[in-house]
Amino acid sequence: MDFFNLIDHLGEHTINGLSKGSIYGLVALGYTLVYGVLQLINFAHAEVFMVGTWTVLGVYTVLGVSEDTGPVMVAVALVVALVAACLVSATTALGLERIAYRPLRRRRAPRLIFLITAIGCSLALMEVFGYVLKVFFGAPFGRGTVHIPTLVRERPVVALGDTSITNVQVIIIVSALLMLVGLDQFINRTRLGRGVRAVAQDPDTASLMGVNKNRVFMLIFVLGGLMAGAAALLFTMRFSITKFDIGFVLGLKAFTAAVLGGIGNLRGALLGGLTLGVVEVYSSSLISSNWEDVTAFVVLVVVLMFRPTGILGESLGKARA
Amino acid sequence: MKRTTVRVLGSIGLTLALAAGGAACGTTETGGPDAEECSGTIGFMGALSGGNASIVLPSRDAAKLAFKQFKAENPECKGLKLQEFDTEGDPAKASPVANKIASDKKFLGVIGGAFSGETRQTKKTFDEAGVTMISASATATDLTSDDPAAVFHRVVGHDEIQGAATAKYLTESLGAKAIFVVDDGTAYGGPLADQVKKDAGDAVKSSDKVQEKQTDFAATISKIKAAKPDAVYYAGYANEAGPFLKQLRNAGIETPFVGSDGLYGSDFPKAAGKQAEGAIITCPCLPAEKASGTFAADFEAEYNVTPGAYAAEGFDAATIFLEAIKAGNSTREDVEKFVDAYDKAGITKQLKFDDKGDVAKDAVVIWTYKLEGGNLVPNEEIALA
Repeated sequence: MDFFNLIDHLGEHTINGLSKGSIYGLVALGYTLVYGVLQLINFAHAEVFMVGTWTVLGVYTVLGVSEDTGPVMVAVALVVALVAACLVSATTALGLERIAYRPLRRRRAPRLIFLITAIGCSLALMEVFGYVLKVFFGAPFGRGTVHIPTLVRERPVVALGDTSITNVQVIIIVSALLMLVGLDQFINRTRLGRGVRAVAQDPDTASLMGVNKNRVFMLIFVLGGLMAGAAALLFTMRFSITKFDIGFVLGLKAFTAAVLGGIGNLRGALLGGLTLGVVEVYSSSLISSNWEDVTAFVVLVVVLMFRPTGILGESLGKARA
Repeated sequence: MKRTTVRVLGSIGLTLALAAGGAACGTTETGGPDAEECSGTIGFMGALSGGNASIVLPSRDAAKLAFKQFKAENPECKGLKLQEFDTEGDPAKASPVANKIASDKKFLGVIGGAFSGETRQTKKTFDEAGVTMISASATATDLTSDDPAAVFHRVVGHDEIQGAATAKYLTESLGAKAIFVVDDGTAYGGPLADQVKKDAGDAVKSSDKVQEKQTDFAATISKIKAAKPDAVYYAGYANEAGPFLKQLRNAGIETPFVGSDGLYGSDFPKAAGKQAEGAIITCPCLPAEKASGTFAADFEAEYNVTPGAYAAEGFDAATIFLEAIKAGNSTREDVEKFVDAYDKAGITKQLKFDDKGDVAKDAVVIWTYKLEGGNLVPNEEIALA
């Protein structure tokens, strides 16, 4: 136990935790949206994120940008990558809903079938990148770790006492917050958002009131996909890698974050993500990094013992209006 | 009454069938129709895909080359086969592979496991089935020191030697007085880091553990920033070490970096990026161009790339099996006896195993390799005491 390290560098550890947690939070939003409306744990959401990271790589490759590219082209590449990753992730999420989940819903399949289907989709998508695409296109697809160019060189920009925050960390934390606020406002203020809340509350009554259920379902998958796509770009900016199973651990953590914050609760997802990130980094600094998963899940268990519905509790339906 | 008769007859029939089956198996085991014809199958088990494959692929390619050359020289041995098994370096995936090889009598031996974790996991299975293992790259000390398996052999030095050499390199060549040691907590990285800590003594001021599949090393990097070491040592594999070094350099820490042989291969420089130039890794593997004979040139002619990590060792491991089969050994028992008694000069070192399966300590060489222009090039040999 290295308490001095934690206390002496508390600021730095907190910032590291927040930037880690922001990405958890953004992915967690996708889990929470779908759960809040459909009570479905969409385990394939981790792969929606993974597809986003590959899209970023694809955009960089097509544009031919590398670590030596000038700032104008870097900005262009980042914007294009953001748009592309969001679109591709959203399309993947939408595809999952149309191809995998809707037919089950039409047949009134039991909930367990949805869960198994989600896990199946998750594995299928992983194997597409880990195996199928490799057969057709060869490298970089396959089971290895793929390097993505670091367009924005990380360097400290803000200094608060001993704590320095890097440019990439600022971008990650600020974008995560902005996207949460945007999504929150969308759900709470717009007509479409009202539809989402209505379906979350009572799908049948909502459709009697003229809300198109299926359109709402599609909308939440698209929204989740957009968030995952943005998370994918932020992740690659900081870590510069992707892999066919990059979503697996991250997806698990994001799902944990969603449960920790209160599944079905948008603000809870981000709060859960940030909490999880900070807890992990604190425990890494107190003991060592191989303890971070243990600590993360101990915190989850403890929180659920005292607040079974998560930190902020309640579902999208009830937290709503 | 009638039903009982059927049952009794059925049971007798089944028993007879089983006995016949067993007898049939027995005959293939003992005699074997092609025993005289110099044929047999050897398995190759290791990470052929995944984030650490580039440490294993060169030894696989070298083993294939050894088979090809051997068959060209000995036309009567065209029945020799090398069959590859991908474990992704994961002990959990290696277990079923080991069971498959162990239960298939056509396998007379296996080159592997390539990594220490999978070797530790599978050596018992192989031991029970009597399948001789010759590893070209599993270095963990405990593989031969703790509950040694009679069938396990390796053509590389173990980590007690690598650890001592690394400690020597860190403290003498680099002159480090404050070393920060990071390991990945695997069967290989953990004990190796402990060995370095032991041998470097007071020079190791602080340490941290990371884990496999980790991508965010911010916490460890903060610790390094605070400790202000004059060298960072990493014991583990490329899959984590690459991103780790990249993040370390991005955080503005330019401290000299030394890594273990698990980083050797093209995966590490690719993931670590340009700023990782100058990083050093240690390896109990001989640079292929220092190997005796025409190995390096042959390898390049065959594959159009320079031989990488453990290539020459892979060639040596394959050669031992090839000679065993050529000498007329067609059962697992005979192959094991042949390998135990083997004593010939390989292309890397004198190949002779002690009763635990290790090569002689004075035959082991530890080299450092330096990251230059995106490639790991041989740097210098660490003189062992």
